[in-house]
Amino acid sequence: MSAKVTRRRFLRAAGLLGAGAGLAACAPRVVEKAVEVEKEVTQVVEKQVTKVVPGTTIQFWTMNYGDPAQWLDMLKKHATEFQEKTGIGVDVQMINWAQGMNTWLLVARGGAHPDCADMYWLHSFASIGGKEYGPLPITEYQQEYWPDLKERFFEGSLKDVYWQGEFYGIPWRGDIRPMIYRVDFLEEAGFSKPPETWEELREYAKALTVRDSNGNVLRWGFLPGGANPCQNFMPWVWQAGGEFMTADGKTATIDTPAMAEALEFLYQLQNVDKVIPPEWLEPSFAPMDYFAADKAAIVFQVPDDWAKNLERDYPELDGKWAYEVPVKNKTRACYSGAGYWGCLRGTTRVEEAVQWIHYLSQDSIMTELSQYLGRVSPNKNVMSNPYWQEKEWRKKIVACLEHAHTSQHPSPAWSRIIVHQPGAPIYDMVYEVMNNNVPIPDAIAKCQKRVQEEMDKGAS
Amino acid sequence: MVRRKNAFCYLMVAPMLALVLVLGVYPMLQTLGMSVVQYDLMRIAREGTPFVGLENFRQIAAEPRFWIAFRNTLVFVAIVVGCVVALGLFVAQVLNMDFRGRGILRSLILVPWVTPPVVSSAIWIWMYMADRSPINQVLMSLGLLDAPIRFLTDASKVWGPFSVPMGAVSSVRIWNGLPFVTVMLLAGLQSIPHEVYEAAEIDGASGIARFRYVTLPMLGPVLSVLVTLLAIGGIGHFEMNYIMTLGGPNDLTNVLSVLAYQSAFTFYRFDLGAAISAIILLSTGTVAAFYIRAQLRGTGAG
Repeated sequence: MSAKVTRRRFLRAAGLLGAGAGLAACAPRVVEKAVEVEKEVTQVVEKQVTKVVPGTTIQFWTMNYGDPAQWLDMLKKHATEFQEKTGIGVDVQMINWAQGMNTWLLVARGGAHPDCADMYWLHSFASIGGKEYGPLPITEYQQEYWPDLKERFFEGSLKDVYWQGEFYGIPWRGDIRPMIYRVDFLEEAGFSKPPETWEELREYAKALTVRDSNGNVLRWGFLPGGANPCQNFMPWVWQAGGEFMTADGKTATIDTPAMAEALEFLYQLQNVDKVIPPEWLEPSFAPMDYFAADKAAIVFQVPDDWAKNLERDYPELDGKWAYEVPVKNKTRACYSGAGYWGCLRGTTRVEEAVQWIHYLSQDSIMTELSQYLGRVSPNKNVMSNPYWQEKEWRKKIVACLEHAHTSQHPSPAWSRIIVHQPGAPIYDMVYEVMNNNVPIPDAIAKCQKRVQEEMDKGAS
Repeated sequence: MVRRKNAFCYLMVAPMLALVLVLGVYPMLQTLGMSVVQYDLMRIAREGTPFVGLENFRQIAAEPRFWIAFRNTLVFVAIVVGCVVALGLFVAQVLNMDFRGRGILRSLILVPWVTPPVVSSAIWIWMYMADRSPINQVLMSLGLLDAPIRFLTDASKVWGPFSVPMGAVSSVRIWNGLPFVTVMLLAGLQSIPHEVYEAAEIDGASGIARFRYVTLPMLGPVLSVLVTLLAIGGIGHFEMNYIMTLGGPNDLTNVLSVLAYQSAFTFYRFDLGAAISAIILLSTGTVAAFYIRAQLRGTGAG
């Protein structure tokens, strides 16, 4: 037999194999299979309450906060103490915030997962994972381990750990956002106190903006927020008296006078008064860099760990900045974020994981973590600690708690609606108004329709 | 004997082939399969992944952002391939000359190549930051600029598909790709016999004529491979556009690969992301097919 024939046979065989593999790869999953899997998983979940096995090691994932090395060391220290007390080992691993979303998305779709973790956006990931993957309800453990849950934790924070009536874990960190301003710049401009209303803010921003002889801005009077553009935008709507959806998470409430008022105010600041940098909507924009480099005088609402970061990284600015409760319109609503410790579906060490979470949720440890981060805690005992009255910025953070407005929304589609990238409805609406001169009513109407479509898709 | 030799060759190639199949072909087929089903993470728990045929392709075709990204992809490829080949030819010619320090220069030219694209992007983000860009500072101190250039965020100066951010991102892609092109062309130049140039010189050919009638034709095979590889790589390019601008401002630097990523990992629409990836595959496949066809014609085969 010739070499040509042999080669032909080989290619034919390879082609058949490849076609077979292709057909197998292209075969769509059908709904019946999903239902079968759901039945199996439900049975597995029901059996997941197991006895603690001494010598077991569980895996715990944490997001990174502050100095990553210090944060990891702190948690590992507690893990060692926990092991000495219970015999249960804890393998602590850290996830960078840059990979956080994709990591939890993969977990919610069946990717590698720990036994328990520091998580967020419960509603979205629980909805994506369904009864198969993602966050695991631990309702049956709540009474045994946290009988005083409602007494110990702020009511608002508990909304972030309940989903469809089930309890999923312990809220452990808050993210309440005060306004920050440069004391020296305000004094220079003749202001003895920070602005209190939207109108005062506008006057302050105009007075605090510094330009060179060519009209180029050397210092911006105001930045609309200290986080990503969508998180920065949300409190403006709340302060104007608006919301993004109804309390049941079923109806979008974008098309409201409050939304128009918020957009109009920011539009005026950016394009008429020119006191906000047009880059604030771009992904590369870093508000902290601007503030620390003397290029911004007031920032509307910043993550509460800015103070800790400024003290650590920019000691030369000590005494030159201060927190304040944000300016007011109809309300003084402050952005409030949250994170919680919970378990993941698929773990066979639920009891051990719950014990670890219970250990972490002790007042002493929650106090330590809160003070390390300089972030508020949903734990009432932690917030009553004298620590929060020792410095002016800490007092202001506590004052902001009274005006906290949760950033979590009851629709699973919220994470897709509020993402700060082109293609997301809220981002596109703000961008179109601010930078593309699309009339506000048109932008709002389009956004209302898009948000409602997303909410309808995500409705369970 | 021949059979044994062939079997040995197939055996040697088998591991690489297995890797290509598992890491390349299988994910590609999986993606193609995903492009014809509904794969929305928000609905998958309730509705599964039903077959929808070409519905995903219809959806992306109805989306203006897709066509903007498609156009930008072609424009980026044209700009980057054109500029990097032209610059590469020039630099390769210079490095082919005999002068002192040529060896050091040849080493230095490789620096952008050994810098990972992610690191390059981070460096250039800082270089292009409007208020602290050293480029702006130098130009403004020389009096050539009145206001800083907003390299990555200026959506106001747009000329058809071209814009300042597109130029900025293109320049980084050219900077990163130049060493590879230069090395390939330098190798090509060094394979051209000196006698050909001598003969041309004797015939009275000027420098430009020698470049046009000797260098370019002799570099033809190298150039065709380079342009094909650069075009294929350019169509699927992701890192710099994503890291530097996320496709903004205003979709001015958005390309198909970034749009595919955003559809899947930002908006949980893996079906739409897969459909866009299928378009990318079709585009690169078309380029490759033309190249292979030209090669086969050139060798007289097929």
